[in-house]
Amino acid sequence: MFLHIFLNRLKCLIRDKQVMFWTLMFPILLATMFKMAIPDVVNLEKFEPIDIAVINNVEYQNNIAFNSALSSVSSKESSSDLMFNTKIVNEEEAKELLKNNKISGYIILNDGPKIVVKESGFKQTILKQFINEYLQVTSQYHNILESNPASIQNFISELGSSESYIKEVSSNNDAPNSSVSYYYALIAMTCLYGAMHGMKEVLSVQANQSPQGARVSLAPTNKLKVFASSILAATVIQILIILILLTYLRFALNLDFGNQIGYIILTAVCGSLVGVSFGAMVGSIIKGKEGLKISIIVSFTMLFSFLSGMMWLDIKYIIANKVPILSYINPANVISDAFYALYYYDTYTRFFTNIGVLCVFSIIFYLITFFIMRRQKYASI
Amino acid sequence: MVVKVEKLVKRYNDLIALDHFNLEVKEGEVFGLLGPNGSGKTTAINCILSLLKYDKGNIEVFDKPMAPDAYDIKRDIGIIMQNVAVFDELTVYENIDYFCGLYVTDKEKRKKLVKEAIDFVALNDFKKFYPKKLSGGLLRRLNIACGIAHKPKLIILDEPTVAVDPQSRNNILEGIQKLNAEGATIIYTSHYMEEVEQICSRIAIMDKGKIIATGTKDELKSMIEIGEKISVELFTKVEHILSDIQKIKGVTSVNYENDLLVIKSKRGYNNLTNILDYLKENKISYGRIYSELPTLNDVFLEITGKQLRD
Repeated sequence: MFLHIFLNRLKCLIRDKQVMFWTLMFPILLATMFKMAIPDVVNLEKFEPIDIAVINNVEYQNNIAFNSALSSVSSKESSSDLMFNTKIVNEEEAKELLKNNKISGYIILNDGPKIVVKESGFKQTILKQFINEYLQVTSQYHNILESNPASIQNFISELGSSESYIKEVSSNNDAPNSSVSYYYALIAMTCLYGAMHGMKEVLSVQANQSPQGARVSLAPTNKLKVFASSILAATVIQILIILILLTYLRFALNLDFGNQIGYIILTAVCGSLVGVSFGAMVGSIIKGKEGLKISIIVSFTMLFSFLSGMMWLDIKYIIANKVPILSYINPANVISDAFYALYYYDTYTRFFTNIGVLCVFSIIFYLITFFIMRRQKYASI
Repeated sequence: MVVKVEKLVKRYNDLIALDHFNLEVKEGEVFGLLGPNGSGKTTAINCILSLLKYDKGNIEVFDKPMAPDAYDIKRDIGIIMQNVAVFDELTVYENIDYFCGLYVTDKEKRKKLVKEAIDFVALNDFKKFYPKKLSGGLLRRLNIACGIAHKPKLIILDEPTVAVDPQSRNNILEGIQKLNAEGATIIYTSHYMEEVEQICSRIAIMDKGKIIATGTKDELKSMIEIGEKISVELFTKVEHILSDIQKIKGVTSVNYENDLLVIKSKRGYNNLTNILDYLKENKISYGRIYSELPTLNDVFLEITGKQLRD
C-alpha cells in the first residue's frame, strides 16, 4: 500500500508540468541568467587602478619625496594590486588625455602638488585623498624637523612600522568569490519551491481541499499513513531537483562550491525538507483553490529569497545588522547562510547551527500540518 | 439494513442543512434521493460517509455505527462524487489502479478488478488517455470506474450525470442497473426526476433538509390528487373555453400558457374523450393533444407548492 501510493504520487509530481517548471526549470533559467549577468557585478566590485598623469616639470623632477610616494602606489603597467596607472607627460598632453577621458585627473607640482580634474567622482576622490595624505605627512615631517629634530628618527620608524590590524585568512583553500552568494540564495529559493510539492500532497489527501482528497479519505486506510507516503514522494522529488540544479551549476555553469560535497548535499536535503514541510503547512492552513496557495507560496519564497540577498546582496547584511532576528526566521537566509558558512569558514559551528535551525523549522511546520490534518471530519466540505 | 439514519441534524451556522433527517436503505435496493439543488442531498451523503460533522443523530451502515476509522465498513463502500475525483497526471488505467489500490493490496487481484472496471464503463480504447483528453461523458465514466473497481456492496452516486451528454447518461444509468443486478445496493442522488423514476426501486423526496415523502414511484404518485394531465395545442385562447372545461366532472384545474391548454383531473377520472368531444362540438381547431400520468415533479409541486427545478 505504502509503495503503491508512493510510486503513483511520484508519477503525479513528475508529470505536473506547472509545478516542475517552477521547481526545476525556473531555477535553472535563473541560474543561467545569473551566469550571464554576474561576472559584470563581480567586476564592479573589483578595484581597478586609476589612470592619472603627472606633469613632468622641474619641481616634479626635484621633489624626491613626492616621486617616491607616487611610485609606491603606481605602476607603469596596469596592475590590480596598485592604486594608480601613472603617465609622466607634459601639460598639453595631460590636458588632451583628460579631455578624451583617458585619465581621471592629473597632478601638477607648482609650489606643492595640485590636482586638475574634469568632474568629481569616486576616482577623483581617491586621487584627492592621496594628495591630502601626502601633504599631511610632509607637513608633520616639517613640523617635527623644525620643533624637535631629535625625534625625527622615531617618526620615520613609526611611519615605516605602521601595524595592520586586519589579517587575511584562507577559506578552505579556495579563492573567495562573492558572486556565489547569489547562487546560494538561488539554491535556497529552489529548496523553498519544494513547498509546491508539499502543498499538492496535502491537497491529494484532504477531503475538504479536493474531490481526490475526499475519495482518499473514504478509503479504508489511515489518512496519515497515506499522507506519509505522499510526502515522502514529494521530498524525494524535491531532493532530486536540488541535486539536478547543483549538478547544473557545478558542471554546466562551472560554479565552484568548494570541496565539501557531502555537506552541500546535507544542506540541500535539509533545505528541501523545510520547503516541502512549509508547503504542507500552507496547504493545510489556507482554505481556497490551488492557484491561491501557489500564489502564496511563490510570494513568500520570493520575499524570503530577496531578504537573503538573491536580488541585492547588501540586503542580507543590512538585515543581519539591523534586524538579526529576521535572518534566523527566514528559511531562505538560513539555507544560504549554511552554504556561506561552508564556503568561507574553516570550522563547522555556524554551518551546523544553520542545519539545526532548518531541522527545527521542518519539525515545527510538520507539527502544525499534523495537528490540522489529524481531523477526520469537517464542519464543511 | 444497509443504511439507517435517524434524526440527523446538521447546521451551517444559522442554516439548518439537515433537519431531523431519517433514511432507511435496504439491501439490493436502488434508492433514489430526489430533491432540488440545495435541498441537502450531498450534505446527507457526506454525513453518512463520516466526512462531515453533524450536530445530532445516529448513522449506521451495514448495521454498525459509521465512523471515520470504521475501515471494515468503508471497505465495502464505493463513492462516485458530483465533482470528478481523478488525478490529471495519471492515465485512465493508472487512476483506476491507484484508487482500487487503496482497497485491494494484492497486485494480481487488483489487475483483474481494474480490467473489469474498464470493461464495465467501456473505456478500453482510452486506457492510456489522460483525463484532460477525455470528453465530459467519458470523464464521468472514469469517475464511476474509480469508485466501483473494488466491487463494493454499497455504491453511492451523487449526481453522477450532471453535465453529461444523453448517450453517456444512458450508458451510466444502464451501468447502475447492471451493478444492482450484480448484487450492489445503490443510493442515487439527483435532481433529475426522469432518471430517478427510470432506475430507482424506492425514492425519497427531499426539501429543505427533510424527507417529505418516501416510497416507490407509484406510491408517491398515489399520494397526490391529480390522476391525469391532458395537454392540448390551441392557437386561439377563448375565455369561455377555460370556464366550459372547468365544468367537466373531475377537472381540478385548467391553464393556458404558450399556446398550450393544460387540464388536470382528479385521480380516477379519465377526461380525454370528454375534452375531444367538447372541442369537436364547438368546432375549435387544435394541434397535438396528449394525455400523461402525474410525474414526480407533480408530487413535489403538490407537497411543497413549487417546481422540483426551482
